[in-house]
Amino acid sequence: MAMAERLSFIRRMFLISGAVLALTFGWSAKGFSADLLLFAGAGLRQPTDQLIRTFQEKTGHTVRVTYAGSGQLMSSILASGQGDLFMPGALFYIEKLENMGRIHSLKKVVAHTAVIGVNIHKENLVRTFDDLARPGLRLALGDPKAMALGRTALTILSHSPLKDAILKNVVVYGATVKQLAIYASQGDVDAAIIGRADAFQFRDRMKMIPIPQEYFQPETIAIAVLKDSKNAEAASRLRDFMASKQGIDVFEHFGFLPLTADNGPKGNP
Amino acid sequence: MNRVFLLPLMVLSLFTAGVLSALFFRLSPGEIIAALGSEETRFALRLSLLTSIASTVLAMILGVPTGYVLARTDFPGKAILDTFLDLPLVITPLIAGVGLLFLFGQNMLGARLGKWGIHILFTPLGAVLAQTFVACPIVMRSSRAAFERVGPRYEWAGATLGLRPSQVFFQISLPLARQGILAGTVLGWTRAMGEFGATLMVAGAIRFKTETLPIAVYLNISSGELGTALSCAWVLMATGFVLLLALRWIGHTPRPETLPSR
Repeated sequence: MAMAERLSFIRRMFLISGAVLALTFGWSAKGFSADLLLFAGAGLRQPTDQLIRTFQEKTGHTVRVTYAGSGQLMSSILASGQGDLFMPGALFYIEKLENMGRIHSLKKVVAHTAVIGVNIHKENLVRTFDDLARPGLRLALGDPKAMALGRTALTILSHSPLKDAILKNVVVYGATVKQLAIYASQGDVDAAIIGRADAFQFRDRMKMIPIPQEYFQPETIAIAVLKDSKNAEAASRLRDFMASKQGIDVFEHFGFLPLTADNGPKGNP
Repeated sequence: MNRVFLLPLMVLSLFTAGVLSALFFRLSPGEIIAALGSEETRFALRLSLLTSIASTVLAMILGVPTGYVLARTDFPGKAILDTFLDLPLVITPLIAGVGLLFLFGQNMLGARLGKWGIHILFTPLGAVLAQTFVACPIVMRSSRAAFERVGPRYEWAGATLGLRPSQVFFQISLPLARQGILAGTVLGWTRAMGEFGATLMVAGAIRFKTETLPIAVYLNISSGELGTALSCAWVLMATGFVLLLALRWIGHTPRPETLPSR
């Protein structure tokens, strides 16, 4: 008798815990809060930080963001096989992963155009793009393999008849775009080819000189959900949020440009 | 020896071996051969050896006498100066690099040095300075400890027998403290060889100009070429291993510390 009672007690406990588990899972399928990992280009940090805060408040999901150079992030994604989203400084890096079958889906967000950032004390020296060829000018560029804007700079130069004279003025190559922005803002170099958003960030220390439009097409910033993602649904929501009107407004506030037909996606050079 | 001590040794060895083999198994033999044969890797190895040796020599010139002074003298504020000299160990290398960038930039020393034809930013010389900055405290600290271990008695004896202070230093103190100084120098040298953050800021990442092995590793990781990056890392580690072993062997000649004690 006592034995039977104990058995039925155990059975009841199982039933109750089963019900609790079922409820928990049933509930979590709806109001489930995911923990997302986003790999983002170091140059996108300011708007991204702000948007992530809003997204977390709105959805209850948590988002961890790793910022680094786009190529380095790509290496991290390939090496770790982890993470949910990828937002590099150029579409090129997403396309590279797409070719390896690592991309779930993507949305384009804004354009990231290149400008010449000129140290504020050297603004008389550099007024147009062609002034970059002036003998003795000190110029900084990004490493063409390591960073998105390094590749862009090379594309730009390849269209200029002054390419050789300009390359002669390059005194340093950097590995991240902010490194170049620091050099130009400190006066360690006279000018650097950097992103419009980077020049905008240091606007009290440098002037922005446009680059002829026919020399290049602005980079497209896009956000991609990775195949590795275990929370594709929540990740897709973040992807859509970044590419929404609200997301684009924040990016514009930090010096990025909206995507238009003119500065649309750019093929690989 | 208590067996309990063997357990940490095993864990540590396995940990190191685990990391190294994880790095190794990602590489195909083809990638290693391609990387070893590449002009870029060989340039980076040459530059790394040159700059790290130069910076280690500089760190010795600055660190050993400083360590000697700190070991033998007492003065007000010594503790503060001592701690202050250790700060480079605590500063993030990247920030040390930014500091060097400001110091040798156009607004501070850069313009003047430039007039004398000395260019530090974006040159291998900048890499040497960055490495010296991080290696100095290590050399200084271990030299100081080495001089303190030896104690001043033999120096007093030498001085009583008529040696000049410089003779005391070079003929007594230095040989006696040799072992500890050598150990510190080796540590400082490996630190210089692996220095990355400060070098990146001060010297830039200029392929075939300021591309040391750590910079080459970073550039190739940045461009997604893991194979080349890992091969460069292996060259760095193998070189370090061989040189460390060689120095250890040099250090194993009979030691002056075995002089009969008083």
